[in-house]
Amino acid sequence: MEDVQVVAMLVRRCVAGDAAAWEEIVQTYNRRIYNICYRFAGSADDAEDLAQEVFIKMYRTLASYDSSKGAFVTWVTTITRNLLVDHFRKTKQDRITDSLDATSSAHEDAQPLSEQIQDQSAPPDQHVRSREVGEAVHAALGKLSPELREAVILRDLQDMDYREIATVLKVPEGTVKSRINRGRAELARLLQRTYRQVM
Amino acid sequence: MPDHTSNGMQCHEFEGLLSDAIDGVLTGAQLDRFQAHVRTCSACRPLFAEVEAGRNWLKDLTEVEPPVSLVTNILASTTGVDTQRLRVNVSAPQPRITWLERAHAWASGAMQPLWATVRQPRFAMSFGMAFFALSVALSVIGVKPADLRQVSLRPAAIRHTYYNTQARVVRYYENIRFVYEVESRVRELKRTVTPAEPAPERKDHKNDTTQQPEQKQERNYSQTENHLILASAPLGLSVNDLPVVLVTTYRRFV
Repeated sequence: MEDVQVVAMLVRRCVAGDAAAWEEIVQTYNRRIYNICYRFAGSADDAEDLAQEVFIKMYRTLASYDSSKGAFVTWVTTITRNLLVDHFRKTKQDRITDSLDATSSAHEDAQPLSEQIQDQSAPPDQHVRSREVGEAVHAALGKLSPELREAVILRDLQDMDYREIATVLKVPEGTVKSRINRGRAELARLLQRTYRQVM
Repeated sequence: MPDHTSNGMQCHEFEGLLSDAIDGVLTGAQLDRFQAHVRTCSACRPLFAEVEAGRNWLKDLTEVEPPVSLVTNILASTTGVDTQRLRVNVSAPQPRITWLERAHAWASGAMQPLWATVRQPRFAMSFGMAFFALSVALSVIGVKPADLRQVSLRPAAIRHTYYNTQARVVRYYENIRFVYEVESRVRELKRTVTPAEPAPERKDHKNDTTQQPEQKQERNYSQTENHLILASAPLGLSVNDLPVVLVTTYRRFV
């Protein structure tokens, strides 16, 4: 995914004070970090703030990155994940899996998840339907517990392998696999019941 | 999950291979055994279906576009760089302010109302008059600013200055003509009014054979009474017009 030597050189230039190198790093990774933050936090505003915080933290600790210990993307993802966990603890958003009839958040206009998914058959436009399904899945993802959510995001949305996820989450690979399976199953249970009604 | 054995595979083994099976990395005999277990195990079959469905749901999620101002905001908040190319609805980065500048700004803000009051003409005139009065008073007393430079602040020097000043004040007070006359008049009155004391009886120590040590003579004074004494005055004045002097006499007991 990334050329280790190129990235290591980029980091060295940045640590030496090269503003262009830092801008290149920001341009390369801002999309990835923003998406992780968005899927974990659930809101676009929170995601923007968190992504900025991640880059500020990264900028301050860039000198501590050691290319021999792992890929830069793993290091960046670890910083992101730690900051998200801190944010979650601060805001005490304990989103342990709820029932489908519970309201998800203010972001979805406090509409129950089942109603959101039921509505997806109404619009004839396939594009609109796809977008609404995506929103429903995003809402269901926000209802998973943080442990399951982060594992599923890193695996299914960021395409990280199990070893990298284990490094980021600091748990064994077996635990990573178990969390991913449980997260996927939980998500399916949240969505399938209503999905059958829709279909 | 109950740990059944079905087609030579236990449920916990199935769970361990589940991720690989979903990812499509299982091959050969292991894949056959896995699929056989899914078909026959009533507990693992729904789990496999749910996990596969969950993964398919997540496939529908596409990446979202970050806000256009995100990169600019990040650069502004990290390096303070705000290039023309990147400037998209973002305010300029705040310059760094040192603590000295911050303290100066705070002091200016806090002192502004006081300074505005002081600068008014009537207050300036009042302060000028007060200063003038103070300087005149100091010069009358004899304090010169040049002397203040030589003042020693050692404790011994301060004590010495205190006693000197006290003695000077007492001397000044006693040298006032009026005070001196009143005091001398009072002394004269005392001498004339107080009766002469009898001479103390002398004890003859020559015939003392008690061999006891001589008792030290102790004088005990006690206030006995106050006498109202009319001061000498020219004839023709009534008693009420005469000045009254209060004289206290002491009787000595031996």
